[in-house]
Amino acid sequence: MEKAEVIVVGGGATGVGILRDLSMRGVNALLIEKRDLANGASSRFHGLLHCGGRYAVKDQEAAKECIVENMILRKIGKSCVEPIGGMFVRLKEDDPDYEEQWVKGCAKSNIEATPITLEEAFAKVPRLSRNNAVSAYLVPDAAIDGFRMAWQNIDSAKRYGGRFKTYTELIKVHQKNGEVEGIRVRNYINGEEYDIFCNILINATGGWAGKVASLAGLSVGVQPDKGTLIAFNQRIADCVVNRLHKSSDGDIFVPHGSITILGTSSMSVPNPEDTATSRAEVENLLKIGERTFENLRSYRILRTFAGSRPLYIPPGGASGRGASRGFAVIDHENDGLKGMMTIVGGKFTTYRLMAEKITDKICEKLNVKEPCRTAEEPLVPEVSESEKEKAGKFFPSFGTNLAAARLGAERFSRVAEELKKNQKSRELVCECENVTLAEVEEIAKEDSCYIVNDIRRRTRIGMGTCQGTFCAFRSANVFAACGKNDMAKDTLSQMKGFLQGRYKGIRPVLFGRALRETEMLRGLYELTFNVNGGNKA
Amino acid sequence: MTSTIVIGSGFAGLTAALFCAERGQKVTLLTHGAGTLPLNSGVIDVLGYDETRVRVVSPREGLKKLSANHPYNKIGIATVEKAITHFLATAEKYGFPYCGNLDKQIDVPTPAGTLKPTCLSPKSLDATDVSGKVTVVVVKELKDFYGEIIAANLKKFLPQTTDYNIVTFDSGLTGGRDITTLDVARLLDTKEGRDRFIAQMLPHAKDTTFITPQILGATNGECAEYIESKLNTRVIETTCLPPSVNGLRLRNMLLGALQSLKVKIVEDTTVLRAERQNGKCIAVVAKAAAREKRYTADRFILATGGIYGGGVILPKFEEPKEPIFDLPVWFIPGEENHSNEEFFSDKPQGFAQMGIMTDENLLPVDKNGNRILDNVYIVGRNLAGFDFCFEHSGNGVALSSAYKVATI
Repeated sequence: MEKAEVIVVGGGATGVGILRDLSMRGVNALLIEKRDLANGASSRFHGLLHCGGRYAVKDQEAAKECIVENMILRKIGKSCVEPIGGMFVRLKEDDPDYEEQWVKGCAKSNIEATPITLEEAFAKVPRLSRNNAVSAYLVPDAAIDGFRMAWQNIDSAKRYGGRFKTYTELIKVHQKNGEVEGIRVRNYINGEEYDIFCNILINATGGWAGKVASLAGLSVGVQPDKGTLIAFNQRIADCVVNRLHKSSDGDIFVPHGSITILGTSSMSVPNPEDTATSRAEVENLLKIGERTFENLRSYRILRTFAGSRPLYIPPGGASGRGASRGFAVIDHENDGLKGMMTIVGGKFTTYRLMAEKITDKICEKLNVKEPCRTAEEPLVPEVSESEKEKAGKFFPSFGTNLAAARLGAERFSRVAEELKKNQKSRELVCECENVTLAEVEEIAKEDSCYIVNDIRRRTRIGMGTCQGTFCAFRSANVFAACGKNDMAKDTLSQMKGFLQGRYKGIRPVLFGRALRETEMLRGLYELTFNVNGGNKA
Repeated sequence: MTSTIVIGSGFAGLTAALFCAERGQKVTLLTHGAGTLPLNSGVIDVLGYDETRVRVVSPREGLKKLSANHPYNKIGIATVEKAITHFLATAEKYGFPYCGNLDKQIDVPTPAGTLKPTCLSPKSLDATDVSGKVTVVVVKELKDFYGEIIAANLKKFLPQTTDYNIVTFDSGLTGGRDITTLDVARLLDTKEGRDRFIAQMLPHAKDTTFITPQILGATNGECAEYIESKLNTRVIETTCLPPSVNGLRLRNMLLGALQSLKVKIVEDTTVLRAERQNGKCIAVVAKAAAREKRYTADRFILATGGIYGGGVILPKFEEPKEPIFDLPVWFIPGEENHSNEEFFSDKPQGFAQMGIMTDENLLPVDKNGNRILDNVYIVGRNLAGFDFCFEHSGNGVALSSAYKVATI
């Protein structure tokens, strides 16, 4: 019978952070996730590593945590973080009193906010609205890759014996005499159900925390709060650009690689799975966004996406933007179930700290004395410069650094070896993100890859300019060739499933150039490949 | 002598120019790029699927069931038939023969291992009657052609076939970049390339049908014929990712025909706007390298394509535009009607049907059905009311609308 001392439910940033922390402290731990890692709010956000400025007025505790964690994540997750810096810009319609409070708040929260002249601001961010900007500050914001962060936490945990199962959904909590005994899970891919025993069960499911708690007959106040974002196909600015005003919709731009993400909105939704977006939401974001960048509508939109913030509502508390972005650890022993805890609320930037806090509590219960070391040790060993230089001969143009950041040292050296000995493996599966056949094969072969979309989240295929136009076909074929199971071999369904996922985010922006790109995509898949047909009448 | 200006060099524009020139008109073709043929399989789909995505057995019968607004109903089924007959003769005459007719579909294999129904195709893409042993030819270092998967899928869709074998052709092409089907097709246009292919395939050629990527020459059908005769068996090509070799063969043939008919082709020029007078267009103004240039004619044929080609644009929701003549663009309003929830849906996509509404003579009309201009004809994908990707009808509409306006 399968067993673990601690089972962590939820493969978002918090869950993987807990698994890593527990494993590093020598606790036998298993993480289960009902889909793939970082499938909820941990990837469905703007990818901003906050400096804390956004909270400097309302919640200085949160602001302080942000800046401390920001510095830690830069250090331990070098290849997940783009240390591009950020700017806060007040526009003419924004309250000048708020600016004053904000400057004080930053000072109190230890956030270095450096005032710059407008000329300096325009020099740094040339497309910033000259008509609307009135003052600007530089802050230590950064961009962060949520998918990569999650996988690197897993890689780190695995080195210490941590285990994980994706596509494994919790369906029942077994209890005896007011104590957790184990859980029943269902494999999403093949429907198989089985039990896993444990002493401690951690609910780290974000927006789903209320649902998971209810499986154990408990109640946790979580309000899923939908945030919608737009990805543009250009780097609109070279640093993060925030509106300097009371936090609102559409006021943060975060550049990532060759794209920019604009977000977010805030809308209470009954179901955290509700990630559909509409024309009205897009229009709302553009309308606000174009105050900061006046020619925003001339940029090509790649797609939209949405995620649900897990806002914790203590009995009688506020929801929406009024709710605290702080987090809470709830020990359900107080509710009559020993061995179960829920962690909820918080934000991506402070995921490590949240994991540390709850792991401290777990260790206390288990009488484990090991201290937390997650703030000191890097998530994965870095690829050395000499290794990169050697591999550079076989990688396409600028692809070496990108692949090194995506793969980490171990996988990188295997991929480089493959590229060296096999010319065919050098071909690009994804031209937009510079992903070679060798890299796709390396990831596709891993046990945790069940569908082509899993390869996407780990390699970035299909996330660039063409949104899967070419790589959907290629990756489905490469994946089928790995021959894992009948589902993988059904190339037509894999391609369609992959493209349907991309289309969901494109649908609300099916105008202008996104529409044109979509017509090309349809021409290829409907006509050239006829993926829907095939059968004779 | 009637003078005609054709704008656009996709399949609709090229055939419109050709058919007008054949009828003694003085034709000028204005193009700003290579047109969409390099993305197009170069096979002529007339109607592959009906409105519920059931495969159409006979295009002729399928055409009769289309809704009144469908371009085919403006063109007329008799004209579609004449256009097809005329195209087959033209293709033969200019050295790139096509086969097929309106009464049945041809099955063209795809690199996804499916079959695509089409009406007319070069013989080298016709897999309709393939049976028995099949040999899939993979080209060393060539992307986007996965032999094992093509074999596994084709086996399901071609039940008369038995054993599948995969062989590799070593073209000798390598170098600093990925090679494409076009590279290999050009190699097979040379004697050495051809001999190399034949020598490597001959040992496998007994009692088999070869399925290859689109590599049998980049010029016309001559290479395929030569190779088939030397291997003494059928060699069938699949459709392919852009650049589409067969699309380029078709383009090549049509450009050759235009040259021999003395059509003036102005390349790299973008038509910006039109000048109108008394319900007619008198001239279009185009941007060339250094300055604007004015072109006058008796008739104008708009063949600028749809959403992909740029003939119809949608800068904002609910506000589609036709950029040159500023013609009203017909569309299906409402967020819920614009697109289907499923990308590969069982009904046509709303957005894909936006285009210019015309009368029976393919002259643009306003929303009340009144003619807007008397001498500007609309052909090809910028016609309203059909989703060519869904129903597989793009080149069929292009060809028959081009034929219609040339023969009015």
